[in-house]
Amino acid sequence: MTLLPNRWKLSDLGLGVGLRTQHFRHITEHWPAMDWFEILSENFIDTEGRPLWYLDQIAERYPIVMHGVSLSVGSTDPIDFGFLDRLATLAKRVKARWLGDHICWTGVAGLNGHDLYPVPYTEEGLRHMIQRVRAIQDYLERPLVLENPSTYLTFASSSMPEEEFIARLAVEADCALLLDVNNVYVTCRNHDLDPLAYLDAIPYEHVVQVHLAGHTDNGTHCIDTHDGRVIDAVWELYARVQEKTGGRATLLEWDAKLPKFAVLQEEVGKAAKFRRDLRVAARRAAA
Amino acid sequence: MSLRDAPPLATLERWMQTVVMHPDGAEPGVRSAAARRLLPRTAKDLGSVVLPSKALSSVERLDIYAHMYYARLLEVLENEYPTTRRILGDDVFRRACRAYVHRHPSRHRTLNSLSEKLPAFLARHLPRGNRSGLAVDVARIERAMEDVFDAPRAEPLTAAGFAAIGTEEWGRVRLRVNPALKFLKLCYPANAYMNAVRGKGKARVPRPRTTTVIVFRRDFTVFRRDQEPEQFRLLQALAAGRTLAQAVRGSVARRRGSADELAATLGAWFRQWAADRVFCQ
Repeated sequence: MTLLPNRWKLSDLGLGVGLRTQHFRHITEHWPAMDWFEILSENFIDTEGRPLWYLDQIAERYPIVMHGVSLSVGSTDPIDFGFLDRLATLAKRVKARWLGDHICWTGVAGLNGHDLYPVPYTEEGLRHMIQRVRAIQDYLERPLVLENPSTYLTFASSSMPEEEFIARLAVEADCALLLDVNNVYVTCRNHDLDPLAYLDAIPYEHVVQVHLAGHTDNGTHCIDTHDGRVIDAVWELYARVQEKTGGRATLLEWDAKLPKFAVLQEEVGKAAKFRRDLRVAARRAAA
Repeated sequence: MSLRDAPPLATLERWMQTVVMHPDGAEPGVRSAAARRLLPRTAKDLGSVVLPSKALSSVERLDIYAHMYYARLLEVLENEYPTTRRILGDDVFRRACRAYVHRHPSRHRTLNSLSEKLPAFLARHLPRGNRSGLAVDVARIERAMEDVFDAPRAEPLTAAGFAAIGTEEWGRVRLRVNPALKFLKLCYPANAYMNAVRGKGKARVPRPRTTTVIVFRRDFTVFRRDQEPEQFRLLQALAAGRTLAQAVRGSVARRRGSADELAATLGAWFRQWAADRVFCQ
């Protein structure tokens, strides 16, 4: 077992959780043990109020990663460079280790659905997205870290599986990946796919971060609700990714039915076991 | 579907957006004229655009996104307008918000501006009556609270800052009002109503009466405060850049009472404003 470094040699930040409003006071009063926090970029770019005041304090003590939902990389609308400027300003302010968004589009014709809509996995879709990712990276002068979204439909025009689309996007646009193993599980359930085959297709030298989360299983389909603990099947996918990479910055997302901060610490702490096991295996292999 | 028949990416995205943002759901969305102009499909031949899964039809899969679109945005509005919702009741509020989101879809990267036109929309579309009138005024306050929460920061003018203004300068001084402050002239005592709901858990719908309210942020907390009409006009005049002398002449000249009483009233107003950090450097 050896460490596969990511292309940009971005640090393995350890175990983190999503920074949510409900926990601001707890964090700034107790400064709890946590390796790093991920913020939802859009919650901080149009405000000079209390959220930013808390974030400034938290960014002094913990590494911050910016993760967004409105970049709309797959949209056919023009790139919003003003929005990129606002992201860059915030990234500088909080000394963001990296920033990213999703492999999706969120709106066209000037509208924003505030949801992560799937792109058709076609050559046209791939060329379009590669060109946009390159343009955004050139403008920001840093790699974009893009996440595989949970998807609930498949376009008939798709000519390649999602994992192939993502792999080619990462390699040809030379962007980084945030591999959300809960999204892999949800997407594969919704499209009757094999999650292990999905994981096998990912270029791990491009993966800099992993997401964990809970979801809702409606029987006919799963929804990525971020409202509970990580299920065992997703932990198994996480273990597989850690094996393939030798360890990546890991983040637990929990947005709805948000529990006390201690529950998040406990849940993300479960990932430590897989990372310890990995180090033990690596030492044994080296011996 | 052959590659030759595949819709261009731009068309596919516009079609999907039209379908999932339809106020009645995905199936009516697919049938809508706007969607059919982009891709002429029905629920029956939808499989040529969106594949069914083992468990869900093509339209059911689109409906997941259609449902989430309104659910997510209505949740935002419910969180921003709790007292408006309480006055109107859940059903009326949700119907109004759904119609609002359809009429005014988000055009911003963040959700901060989503509801900026909701008070005016409610004023236009709710049936006339005291309950609706109160709801519109409360919605205006709740929207102002959102604006003030996110407004730019400014260093407050401290007691020392006030003291540094020489007595002879007071007439000519132009005070800068906190950018995180909104002025509201209302048709109902909506602020008192919100205070009563917050304090007692319930309140009667009041009769219409013109009231003037400021909503402002102090130490990152949002406050609401009723103002006397002259007090409100004076602060508005200062915010508009008038000198203190001009502002006083324009707002309290016709107030009854002796000069001493007027001086005492002005002193009380300024002490309250200073405590509220209404002025900034």
